[in-house]
Amino acid sequence: MILTEDSIAKIKAKAVRYPRKKSAILPAWTVAYRQIGHVDEAIYKEISKVIGVPMVEIAEAATFYTMFPKKPRGKYLLQVCNNISCALRGSDSMITHLENKLDIKLGETTDDNQFSLIAVECLGACATAPMVQVNMEYHENLDATKLDKLIDDLKAKKD
Amino acid sequence: MSEAVKKDQPKVSVPTVTFSLDGQSVTVPKGTTVLQAAKDVGIHIPTFCWHPQLKSVGACRMCYVEVEKMPKLMVSCMLDAMDGMVVQTDSDQVRQGRKAVLEFILLNHPLDCPTCDKGGECDLQNLTFKHGVDDNRFDFKKARFKEESMTTTFDDKKIGPEIVLNRNRCILCYKCVRANKEAFGEYDLGAFERGNITQIDAVPGGEVCNPFSGNLVEICPVGALTNSDWRYKIRVWLTKTTPSLCNFNSSGSNIDFYKEDHQNKIFRVTSRTNDSIDDGWISDITRYGYQVINSADRLQKPLIKKDGKQVEVSWDEAINFIAKKYNDIKESVGRVCIGGLISPSLDNRSLYSFSKMIRTVCKSNNIDFRGDYRMLPNNPDSPFGVLRSQPFSIAEIDDSDVIVSFGSDLIHEHPNEYLRIRKAFNYTQPKIYSMMPYSVKSADVANIEYVYTPGTDETAINAICLAGIEENVVDASMATEYIKHVVPSTLKDASALCGLDEAELKILARSIAEGKKITFLVGEIVTRSKARDIITAALLNMNKLFGLSSKGQISILARYANSKGAEKLGILPDPIAPIKEALKNDFEEYPESEPRNTDGMMAHIRKEEIKGLFIVGSNPMMLYPDKEFIKESLDKLDFLVVCDLFETETTEAADVVLPLAGWAEYDGDYVNLEGVCQSAKQAVKPAGESKAAYEIVRLIAEKLEHKTFDVESIDKGVEACLAIDTTIKLPNEFLDIKAESEDVTGEFSHPIFIIDDAHHCGHLTEKAPSLNNFTAEAYLMMSEELAAKNNMQENDPVRVESEVSKLILPVKISESLDSDVLLIPRNFQSSPVTSLCMRKRRIDRVKISKVDE
Repeated sequence: MILTEDSIAKIKAKAVRYPRKKSAILPAWTVAYRQIGHVDEAIYKEISKVIGVPMVEIAEAATFYTMFPKKPRGKYLLQVCNNISCALRGSDSMITHLENKLDIKLGETTDDNQFSLIAVECLGACATAPMVQVNMEYHENLDATKLDKLIDDLKAKKD
Repeated sequence: MSEAVKKDQPKVSVPTVTFSLDGQSVTVPKGTTVLQAAKDVGIHIPTFCWHPQLKSVGACRMCYVEVEKMPKLMVSCMLDAMDGMVVQTDSDQVRQGRKAVLEFILLNHPLDCPTCDKGGECDLQNLTFKHGVDDNRFDFKKARFKEESMTTTFDDKKIGPEIVLNRNRCILCYKCVRANKEAFGEYDLGAFERGNITQIDAVPGGEVCNPFSGNLVEICPVGALTNSDWRYKIRVWLTKTTPSLCNFNSSGSNIDFYKEDHQNKIFRVTSRTNDSIDDGWISDITRYGYQVINSADRLQKPLIKKDGKQVEVSWDEAINFIAKKYNDIKESVGRVCIGGLISPSLDNRSLYSFSKMIRTVCKSNNIDFRGDYRMLPNNPDSPFGVLRSQPFSIAEIDDSDVIVSFGSDLIHEHPNEYLRIRKAFNYTQPKIYSMMPYSVKSADVANIEYVYTPGTDETAINAICLAGIEENVVDASMATEYIKHVVPSTLKDASALCGLDEAELKILARSIAEGKKITFLVGEIVTRSKARDIITAALLNMNKLFGLSSKGQISILARYANSKGAEKLGILPDPIAPIKEALKNDFEEYPESEPRNTDGMMAHIRKEEIKGLFIVGSNPMMLYPDKEFIKESLDKLDFLVVCDLFETETTEAADVVLPLAGWAEYDGDYVNLEGVCQSAKQAVKPAGESKAAYEIVRLIAEKLEHKTFDVESIDKGVEACLAIDTTIKLPNEFLDIKAESEDVTGEFSHPIFIIDDAHHCGHLTEKAPSLNNFTAEAYLMMSEELAAKNNMQENDPVRVESEVSKLILPVKISESLDSDVLLIPRNFQSSPVTSLCMRKRRIDRVKISKVDE
C-alpha cells in the first residue's frame, strides 16, 4: 500500500459523512494528495478499495479535476499567481525569472525533484501582489531579489 | 402458464395526466416523460442519448420539443408530461433547434462515413440527412484524437478484446458508459477528461471485457464503437436479416442474423428486442456465438471408422453402414439394445423425431437429453422433477418485491435473468438475496449474500425455514409439523452446520414470509448436484411452509436452449403420464423396456446389455462430470454413432460420425425456460454436407424400419405434446430431510465447482474466435487470499490433483471469491476438467500445488 494507515483512517473517517459512497472521492484525494503529492492509477485502486467505489468512477473524476496533479511533483511546488492583480505587478517576469533560475519551463519539475513550477489563478492575495504559494505557504510582495533569496533558502533548507 | 402467478393482483389506479401532443390529446400515467408519451402514440422524436432501458440524462439535446408558455425549447426525454401542457414536436422552431444541435455535434465529427462501418445504419448520418445540415460554419481545425500506434489519420483504439473505439466519431452521448454501469453493473468503461478532450475509454490499466460488452457497440448511435467481427467486412445494406434465437442460453434471447447469400455467411448478430424476454440486451455468447456456424473446422462429410481410422464417405454409405451394424446387433443379441443421447440445444422437431426413433425403431426407453449431469433421477416426479416443472416467467421478476437466487451463478448461467434482476434493482428496489456455496459477482445487486459451506445446500434451506419458525412468521401448526421432518431441527444447529449467520437468516425468512410477490429461482448448483433430490425436497418444504408459490414463483431454471422443450416432449427415459399417453397415441406403440437415463445407459453398456448408442449433438466425454466413467463405457460399445458440428472427443470414439447442421442452418422451434415456444429461421445453407438432426434421424429410421418420419407427422406430435400442461402438482406433505454429509479426506481439501466461463457455454463456443479473444483456455479461479496463502500469482501454472486425475492450469484470481472454493471452466477441450470428477461424489475435492519452473 502507498497510502499510510493514518491516511486510510482519515479517508474512512471522511467517507462515513456521506450518504452516497461516491461523494467521498474528492475528500479521499485530498488526503492522498497531502500524503503523496499527486494521484495516479495506483492511488485510484487503493482509494477504490478503501471507500468501496469502482476504480473507473475515481479515475473519471480525477481526470475531470485538473488541479489534482497526475504525476509526481518536486518537493516544493511553486504556484505563481498569474491573475490580473499579480499580472499588473509583474508576475510574468517572475515566471520567466524562475524558469531561468531553475532551468525548467512552466509546468515542469527540476531534475533533482526539488522544485515544480506552475501558474495558478487568483489566490486572494491581491493586496500583496505579486505572490507565490510554496506548498501551503504564501510568499508575498515579491521581486527578483526576494525570489532569489526564497529559492536559495529552500535549497539550503535541510530536513 | 403465468395465470397462477397473476391471480389476486389488485388493480392499482395510477394518477394520470392529460396533455396535448401535436394537437392530439394524450393521457399517460403521471411521471411519464413527453418523449415516452410520444413514442407510445407513435410520434417519432429523434434521439441520440436516450435508451428505453436507461435513465434519461438529456446529454445530446436532440429530442427538443416546443412547449407553450415555456420560453425555450425543452428536451423531451427529461420533461415529465403535465396536465394541460401543449407540446409541438415538429414546429419550425423545433426543427431549427435540432438543426443547430446537429451543427454542434458535427463540429468535431470527422464525417468519414465512406470508411465508417456504421454508415447506412448511423443515427447521426440519418438525422443529418433528414434535417438538411449541408454546410458547416466552423472554419477552424477540428479537434483530433490520434492513437499513437496508428499510422493513419484514424483513431482506432482497441479498448477490449472485441471493441475498437474511434474517439473522433464519438458524440459523447454517454449511452455506452451508462449502460455498462447501470444496466450491466460493470465498471470497465468510463468517460475521462473534460471539455474538448472528453473521451470514452477503458478503465486505466484494464480493458472492456465484460460478458455484455457487445451491447455497447450495438447501442452506439455513431461509429465510435465498432466490434472487430464486423469491422471492414461488409456494408450493412449488402446484408439481409433473419430472425433467430440464441442457442446458448435458456431464455431464448431474440436475435437477428445479418447474412450475405452469395457468400452463404453470417456476418453478425444483433438483438431483436423482445421486452418479455431480453429487454434488448444480449450477452456476448449470444452475440458472437454465431461464429461457430462459420467455423472452418466444421465437419463436412460423414466419417466411418475403417481399420481404426475415420475416413470420409458419402451419406449413402454411412447410412447403409449404420443399417448393417444395426441388423448385426439385432441378430446377434436377438433384440435391439441401443440407447440414445441428444443435446437439449436442438430444436423440437429434432428432439421429437429422435425420441420417436429410439422408442419405435429401437423399441427402447434408453433415452436422455442430459449428457452432462451425474446421477439423475429416473422418475420425473421426484422432488427435482416436481420443482423443475414449476412455471417461471422472466417478466414477473420486474414487479417482484422479494427476489431470491439459490445456487445460481447468474451471470454465467442466466445472463438475461441477471440483467432483469438488475433492472428491478435499479427501478423498483426489491429485496434481493443470493445464496451460493461460493461468492459470486452477480450478488452485487443483493441486499445480503449468503455463502454456505459447500455440500450443505439442504441444511441452508432448512435453516431459512427454522429461522422463519423462530421469528414466528409462519403458521404455528405447520411449524410443529415441519420440525418433525427435518434433521437438524434447531436453527442453531442448522446455521452452524451450513456456516450461515442466524440473524441474517432471520432477515431472509422474514422477507420471504412478508413478501407480496416473490421470485425464487434455483440454478445449476442444485441441478448438477448428485444430491439434487434432497435439496429440492428441502425447497419444496420451504415452499409449503412459507406458502411461497401462492404469492409468486419458485422454479429450477432450465439451462440450455431447449431443455424445457426436451422435458415437455418427453425426451426422458420415463416421461410423466400425460406425455407418455400422447407419445403412445402418436407412435401407436410404446416400448415396455426399462427406462434408463444417461447414468443407467452407461452402466448397462458396461454390463454389455446395451451394444449400440446414438449421440446427437451431445459431448458427454467432455462435459459429463466423470470422464473416466464415460470413456470406459463408450469403449465397451459395439457400435457408436455420433452427430456433431465438430470433431470432438466423443466423435473420436465413434464408428460413424455424421455432420450436423447448426441452428442457423435450418428452421427450428425452441421452448425457452418460461415454456414459450419460439421460432428460429434458417439464415444460411448447411455447411458442407451437414444435415439437420431431424433429417439425419429420418434417413436412419426410414432405412432401418421403413417408418414414416415425415416432417408433418413429427410436427403434429410436437404440437400435441407442447399443448400438455407438464406442471407437476406440489406435494401436500412435508418431506423428510436428513442433512447428508460427505467426509472430507485430509489431503484433498479444496472443493471445486465446474462452471461455464462467462464467455463460453458448453463445448461449441470454443470454435468462436471472438469468444476466444475473451477467454481461450481453462483456468483455475481462486480467491485472492488463497492465492496469497499458496504464494501463487495470476497465470502461475498450478497442479490440480483429485483422487482420480490431475491437470495443470494457470491461476486466475477472482475479485468475488472469498473462500477456499476453486472454479474451473469446462468449455475447453484441451483441459478436460471433468476428468477430476467422480460421478458418485457430491462435491469434488482437489489439492493444489505450484508447478516449479
